[in-house]
Amino acid sequence: MQGTRDDDTATTDEYGDELDPREAARLLAQTERNARRQFDLSPQWINGLMGAVILAAYGSLWLSTRGQHPYKGPSLGVVALVYVAVAVAFAASVKVYRRATAGVSGPAARQRQVEGVAILVSFVLGSPVLQGALRHYGAGDAIVYGVIPAAAPLIIVGTTALGIAASKADRPLFGAALAVVIAGVVAAFVGPSGAWLAAGIGLFIAVVGYAAAGTRLDRPVPRRA
Amino acid sequence: MTADALDPVIHAPARLRIVATLAALADGDSLSFTRLQNMLELTPGNLITHLRKLEDAGYLIAETTGNGRASRTSIALTRQGRAALASYADALRALLGSA
Repeated sequence: MQGTRDDDTATTDEYGDELDPREAARLLAQTERNARRQFDLSPQWINGLMGAVILAAYGSLWLSTRGQHPYKGPSLGVVALVYVAVAVAFAASVKVYRRATAGVSGPAARQRQVEGVAILVSFVLGSPVLQGALRHYGAGDAIVYGVIPAAAPLIIVGTTALGIAASKADRPLFGAALAVVIAGVVAAFVGPSGAWLAAGIGLFIAVVGYAAAGTRLDRPVPRRA
Repeated sequence: MTADALDPVIHAPARLRIVATLAALADGDSLSFTRLQNMLELTPGNLITHLRKLEDAGYLIAETTGNGRASRTSIALTRQGRAALASYADALRALLGSA
């Protein structure tokens, strides 16, 4: 085990004379990989889980409302399934966040917390406020319970994420957020049932694209800026 | 190019792993002593020895807050430490490329 070996070399190998350069390169690459994995806020398995949840939730909503004339909204069973899926995804995300950020402090860590609050607020408040206002002014079920809950969260949360990505020059996040906003815009114009399908496809593409970009940028050895 | 070109402060298994782990954090962020120890599976005494060498070289900064059992030590890589790791990686690549 490396830990045991380091114990042995702590005093005798003070200046590392016995560390072969090839072994050093391997150790460096392995340590970087391990550290990135441990600090990673969106590991591959959580991206996979998110993708599955998106397909299951939005697919069910679309199937449940497809062909409704007039639009009555998804069945209670499907709504319950969506809430359970979202709760599972949220709990998994919280667990990953806590594990990745345990013991980490500093300006970037604080900034991540503020960004998380901004995303959460825009998600929790954005769509319900619009739905309430539209219902108040007499909009129909197709708008209040179809188009808006499918499209509005994507546009509002996506725009918030777009701003965060732009401020950090985070290209993968910017691309994913842009895909989410575009999906929201498309969802707003394809009818109440089609909105769920458009939103689901757009979100799925955004999550998969973001995961793929993260994998592509995963470099083994640091280079000079 | 020979192995002498490699920074001797970093060119030791434990210190290389410490620096590479801290470099994975965002610039300016720090890691608690306990988390670092768990990640690297080093004994506290061993870790302290290597941290001291790196701190003496100006590659990292350790800050302790609180008193007694509530005290918490945070370790962060300095800009000098980040630059030293980048130079070390460059030197390694050059060394292996010319081998």
